[in-house]
Amino acid sequence: MNLARAPHAPAAQPLPVQAGLAAAVRQLRGVKILFPFVVLIAIWWTIQATGNFADRVLVSPERVFDTMVLLISHGVLAEYISTSLTMIGIATVVSILFGVPIGFAVGANRYAARSLEGFLRFLQGVSGIAWLPLIIIWFGFTHTTTLAVVIYTLIVPIIFNTMVGARAIPEHYALALRSLGAGRLRLITDVYLPGALPSIVVGLRLGMGYGWRALIAAEMLVRQGGLGDLIFGARTSGQIDRIIGGMIVIGTLYVLIDRLLVQPIENLTVARWGVLRK
Amino acid sequence: MAATASADKIVVSGFRHFFDTEDGPVQATGMIDLTISAGEFVTLVGPSGCGKTTLLKAMAGFFRPTEGTIHCDGRLVTAPGRERGVVFQELAILPWRTVRKNIGHGLEIAGAPKAEREEKVARLIDLIGLGGFEDRYPHELSGGMRQRVAVARTWAADPDVILMDEPFAAVDAMTRLTLQEELGRLSLATRKTVFFITHSVDEAVFLGDRVLVMTRRPGTIKAEIDVPRRAAGGRDWESFTTDAEMQGIAERVLKLVRAERGLTPAEEARAAAGTSA
Repeated sequence: MNLARAPHAPAAQPLPVQAGLAAAVRQLRGVKILFPFVVLIAIWWTIQATGNFADRVLVSPERVFDTMVLLISHGVLAEYISTSLTMIGIATVVSILFGVPIGFAVGANRYAARSLEGFLRFLQGVSGIAWLPLIIIWFGFTHTTTLAVVIYTLIVPIIFNTMVGARAIPEHYALALRSLGAGRLRLITDVYLPGALPSIVVGLRLGMGYGWRALIAAEMLVRQGGLGDLIFGARTSGQIDRIIGGMIVIGTLYVLIDRLLVQPIENLTVARWGVLRK
Repeated sequence: MAATASADKIVVSGFRHFFDTEDGPVQATGMIDLTISAGEFVTLVGPSGCGKTTLLKAMAGFFRPTEGTIHCDGRLVTAPGRERGVVFQELAILPWRTVRKNIGHGLEIAGAPKAEREEKVARLIDLIGLGGFEDRYPHELSGGMRQRVAVARTWAADPDVILMDEPFAAVDAMTRLTLQEELGRLSLATRKTVFFITHSVDEAVFLGDRVLVMTRRPGTIKAEIDVPRRAAGGRDWESFTTDAEMQGIAERVLKLVRAERGLTPAEEARAAAGTSA
């Protein structure tokens, strides 16, 4: 590096070009993510334009777009969205509050862990939707029913992964801390919680994916608002534009929740502590 | 509490331990009686699986022995305690805490004021040569640096007794020499009672005031060898390797350990190379 060179000499200014390149690369990456969507819309648009479909069977992308603008401008979409987000939010908080302690309790006991592992896998097989008939009989067509199904779906992967995470913590972490005078509470806050956190986050991420799907399905049957209600209600009146628009919103919201909420937590813990790299 | 130099710090009497397994109890150690004086550095060398670690963990209070008792300062050991610090062979510092927070962990648990904690931690970081790494996480450090942090964490909590289970086994050979010299100096300067387990005869003789040799499993203590008192500055490897008296002791200990393996030197070499079953 030549310190004697004047700061505004031409050779010292490759920066705008570099910055421009970096921006172009970023843009390219953005395009790559959007590319499959563009292809899908193009196919949809071609099929719709070349075939002779009734509005009850398939509508054009523009038509869906116009309907969505209408739903948004009238605040209708916001209401459906807020119902769904409230549900997934409550279910997530409840599942963490109960699932994490249960996972630890099971993980702390070797025999309990072994005997419950099969049971938890069995529960994962009996999807939340399969519980719906029974829960509707018990709680009726209410938000309680929807919540019960979503919590059930969300909590099982959280319990399971908390248990796995707790069991993967090396035994001597806790032993060393006990000989430093740590009591039970200390061990939980300083060893077990941070040690299992990466695994808990994995469980949360899985659970929210399953839970979001279960939520939409439950809303379709319970019909008390939410995005599932929006698209299933549109079916009875043959509003294809609402159905497709609703589906797009459902997918988009899930991506946003995952990218903006769950992934940052994962980066904060797993990457920083080097747990993955070891 | 205020123990004189010759006071008994740790007394193990009639100790014998069995592990419960699915195939019934398995004997981990034979009958062991052992007394460690305050300020003494005792090393224990013995073949793999002889029960060394079992004895150390019982001293730490991680479990109660099947038979016998362990007393520390005249009190029966029933649980882990702050007066008995442990350094493990495996990495036991927490990966989610920085160097500073790991070393200060014991003080934090003890509820020491922040200023005192920071001052003590800063002094230890300086002593172990980790200045500039205070805010790094363990995965950013080398193996030798991590083990230094583990030793410093135990020292920072200021226990009377330090139990060390092959703490340098996973460190590269060059770093190990330095760490051994540093540990010798540190233990002399702080007058801690140290019980140190190792596989390595040289390490046992280099560090110890007294070397204990254990038999094969179920292990008992078959010999005790006194090593000349360490000078105030501790030992260093250069003079250790040229000191005829120390080398003579090392040879004696080696013979005692060898006899326990029941292997010929040729078989041993093959085992070391990992070719034998």
